[in-house]
Order: sequence, then structure tokens, then C-alpha cells
Amino acid sequence: MSTVRTELDPGLLGKIRAWVGYQPGQEIKTILTYALMAVVGVSTVGPFVIMLSVSLTQDIRFLLFPVDLIPQPFTVENFGLLFSRTLAARWLYNSFVVAVISTLGGVITSAMAGYAFARGNFLGKEFLFYIFIGILIMPDTALIIPQYILLSDLGLVNSYTALIGPWFASIFGTFLMRQQFLSIPRDYDDAAHMDGANLFQIFGSVLLPQLVPALATLAILRFMGNWNSFLYPLIVTTKANMRTLPVGLGTVARSGGDAGLDMAGAVLGFLPTFIIFLLGQRYIIQGVSLSGLKG
Amino acid sequence: MVPSYIKTMPSSGIGHRIKESLPWYPFILINLAVFLLFNLVPWLSMFRNALYKTDLLSHSEFVGLGHFGDMVADERLHQAVRNTVLFALLYVPPIVFVSLVVAILVNQRLRGMRFFRSIYFLPNVTNIAVLALVFRRFLSPRPDAPINYMLGLVGIPAQKFLLDIHQALASIAAVGVWQSFGFFMVIWVAALQAIPQPLYDAGMVDGAYGWRLHRYVTIPLLRPTAAFIVVITTIGALQEFGAIYILTGGGPVYATTTAVYHIYSQAFNFTRFGYANALSILLFALILVIAWIQSRYLKFDEEVY
Repeated sequence: MSTVRTELDPGLLGKIRAWVGYQPGQEIKTILTYALMAVVGVSTVGPFVIMLSVSLTQDIRFLLFPVDLIPQPFTVENFGLLFSRTLAARWLYNSFVVAVISTLGGVITSAMAGYAFARGNFLGKEFLFYIFIGILIMPDTALIIPQYILLSDLGLVNSYTALIGPWFASIFGTFLMRQQFLSIPRDYDDAAHMDGANLFQIFGSVLLPQLVPALATLAILRFMGNWNSFLYPLIVTTKANMRTLPVGLGTVARSGGDAGLDMAGAVLGFLPTFIIFLLGQRYIIQGVSLSGLKG
Repeated sequence: MVPSYIKTMPSSGIGHRIKESLPWYPFILINLAVFLLFNLVPWLSMFRNALYKTDLLSHSEFVGLGHFGDMVADERLHQAVRNTVLFALLYVPPIVFVSLVVAILVNQRLRGMRFFRSIYFLPNVTNIAVLALVFRRFLSPRPDAPINYMLGLVGIPAQKFLLDIHQALASIAAVGVWQSFGFFMVIWVAALQAIPQPLYDAGMVDGAYGWRLHRYVTIPLLRPTAAFIVVITTIGALQEFGAIYILTGGGPVYATTTAVYHIYSQAFNFTRFGYANALSILLFALILVIAWIQSRYLKFDEEVY
């Protein structure tokens, strides 16, 4: 056995082993690992591939196997129907406006409050800290009904203010940014202070530029979170033209149309977060590890 | 005389304290305003709203704790609580297990692991409306719909999934596991990578190899992460809504009406906003108690070294 292996080592098997990176004698374990991961991978990506194929198929009433992965003929008419029969364009616009403003607002307020909690020594700091933790453990869904009643009293149902409002501040973001500011030595603050900088200048020009990766992580997490939120935007909008894309697509799903139309909607809802995921993957995974290790 | 550097210590006068505090308040002002308006005020008003019977339009009547009495007779609520707990049981153990197994697989030092990690994470960044649009079609009861077609290949007859009162909740839980395992995989991987190599070396010096090494090093060190994931997934499961709303609308015959769906339905289908508020308090209490018991029982932050 071992002689056979030494004979093969300089040859093809050795090259494969070096490239894949497994230990000698673990061929079977390695092959099984890849096989399992491929199965999980296909079941993860498969539905998205089928979604895309069906969305490009002509006159498709039901999604049935086997599916033509490369549709013949190839058509974009389902997307035409989606934009003409539903308010998809408007929902897409709403989602973008709400997600962009929510993200910018949430990141800026988190950075500011994180700075105050990291460096400030102000009256009520500890009290507020406990209030923040109290809000953090409050399950969002339990607040939905009183939030709706309040917004209804204020006449804010079906408004961008209602859709963006709660996203304009983030406890998780505040705590994350506080940790980040604490990681910067105070010497920077002191030096800038000696040069005559005020708190806003120290914050904006000296400290914040050092935290761009953390800000990017937070921004991507907030954008994704806002874009994908469902229950809250469902509740604070009742008019079709104020829906966000996911909520609008929910109404499409429940209306029982053709599979082609449904999958065109799904592709439209899928693409924005997919593109951000491709671009900002590193930040997303880093952000998840951060939030996980917190516990 | 006192040395001059003592003067840099903050004086205890309240006037000085306020003066020192003032420049910091602008930094937290917007945050505070948002939390006050969208969290604290609704939170407090929840307890007041629960005492009134209101449709938010014309009718509003003080009923005191009457809504809590109504809960005792609300058969739908009892079923909703049972469904919620059942959903958590159908969702939490599989996701903890699947995400751990996948994490162990992708944590090996082999080529392409980063690629696999990325694609496993993909469903997690995709919104529930998209997944529900797709899985409504996949889980169709027709024999040639995707899932039934694949079951057919291994000789299992076509199932009704979302249309079957015994399968609907489990089908939604399966979609949830499919969506989120990548997220918890990342957390498991971070925990696995945080285990210091010297601990394994020390274990081997003490004569532990293979499974015993995992039994005495890996598993004890992963316990805080396991506890964290169990609590987080349970809290998530108790609040599931989007997939239920789109896939089944609470049906068939209330089989997927969970606590949150019941609250939604009482408020927006039956305009019983006061009662929905009282139910929200119940949901809040339920989640808090379950999370508290779990974190006590699982010894959340016990030192493991």
C-alpha cells in the first residue's frame, strides 16, 4: 500500500493533493466532503437557477419538472407583463428610496451615538445604556401593533416617514460603532484637541476615516436588513403604490398568476441583494461573525 | 498647596457636570428621538391600548383586563400558541444540526471552501417574498412539481405539502432552514476557528485523539455558541411571519396560524386592535420567558476554559 502511494506521490495524485490541499491518505474523506458540499450547493443554488430560467420562458403557467434550463425560445415578455400589470417599477423605486435613506441615516446616527458612548462622559449615559439594552431585547414583532396604532394616530400610515423612521437609528449599530471607537487610542483625540479641534471635528475628520471598514459592514447589513424587511412595511402601508418590493411581490404571489410572471417578480426581488452580496460579501460575512461572537 | 495636575480632575459640582455633558448630547439626539418615537412610546402605549376595545375608527371602549379574559376562551389563540411552539420544534433542532454539519465540512483546509461558504449564504441575503414565490411553485401538490418530481424519482408518492394540515407547518420550517442555515454556518465557523490550536496540542499530549479530542476540546468550547444559536433561532422561530403570510396565509384550516399571524389577523382582518395589543403583550412575555429559560438552562456565558 505505502509503496504504491510513494510511487504515485510525484505524479498526478501528488499534484492533485497539493492543489486541493488534503493530507496524504485522506482521498476518500476528501471525495465524500466534496460530494456532500456539491449536493448542498446544488440544493442552495438550484432554485435560483430554475427561477431565472422560468422567468425567461414563454407562456409558462406552471413550474413543472423537467424545466428547460435554457429556455427555447428565450423571452423577456414575463418582465414586460410584470411591469405593465403590477406596480413593480413603483415598488422597486420605493424600496430603493427607503433602503438608501434608512441606511445612510442609520449608519450616521449609529456612528455619532457610538462615539458619544465610547468617549463622552455625560449625564444619563449609564441610564441610556440600559434603556438601549432594554430596547434591544424587545422583540420587534410584539411592537408592530402599537407602532401601527401610533402611526395611524399621527396620520403617517402610507408615508415614507413611517417606512424609514424606525430605521433611522440602530442599537446594534450604536454598540458596534462604540466598540470600534474604543479600539482607537485616545491619543488621537488628545492630539486633535490640542490642535484646537472640537468634538465634531475630532469625530468627523480624525476618528471616522479610520473606521471605514466597520462603516461599510454596518451599511451593508442595514441595507440588506431594510430591503428584506417584510412585516413592518406590510403593516404601515395599505395603498398598493406605497408598498416596498418584497411586500408588493407578496401580493403578486397571493394573486395566483402564471409561474412565468411570479418568477419574473422573484428575479426582480432577487437581483438587488444578489449584486450587493457579490460586491460586499466580505463585509457581510465579517458582520455576521461579529454579531455572532457578541453572544 | 495641591499640585496643579489635580485641577484637571473633574470637579464634583453639578454645574460643571452639566457643562461637561452638553457637547455630547447632539451626538445622541437623533438616536434618542427615533427610539422614543418608534420604540418607547409604542412600548408603553401597548399596555394602555390593551385595556381598550377599538377598531381605530369610530369605536373605542374601556374593557380593562377583559381582553386577557377573552384569551382564555380564544380557541384560535390556543391553537396559534401550539403551532408556534411546534414550529420552533420543527425549525430549531434541524437548523442547529444542519448548520453545524455544514460548518464542519467547509471549515476543512481544502480548495474551494470559500466558494461553497458564499453560495450557502446566498438564500440568507434573499428576501422572504422571493423565496416564497419560488417555493410556492416548488411545493405545489402536482406530481410533476419540482419537489414531488424528485420524491417520485425515489419512489415516494406526491405529497400535498402546503395544502396538507399535517405538512404545512413542517414545509414552512424546511424553507426556513434552507434559507438560514448559511447564516448560522458562518457563526459556527467563526467559533470553530476561534478555538486555539494549543488546546488541541495539549489534548493530544494528554492522550486524546480523533473523536476524544472533539469530545473534550471542540464540544465544550462550542457550547456557548450552541447556546447562542439555540436562543437566537428560537426567538426567530417564535416570530416567523413572512413565509407563512405568503405561502399559506395561516391555513389550511389555521394549521399554520402562529402567534404573530394570529395577532396580525386579529388586527388587520378583524380590526380588533385592542385585543391584538393584549396578544402582543402575551407574545412579548412568551418570548422573554422562553429565551430566559433557555439561557439559564444552556448556561449562556459560563466560562468553559
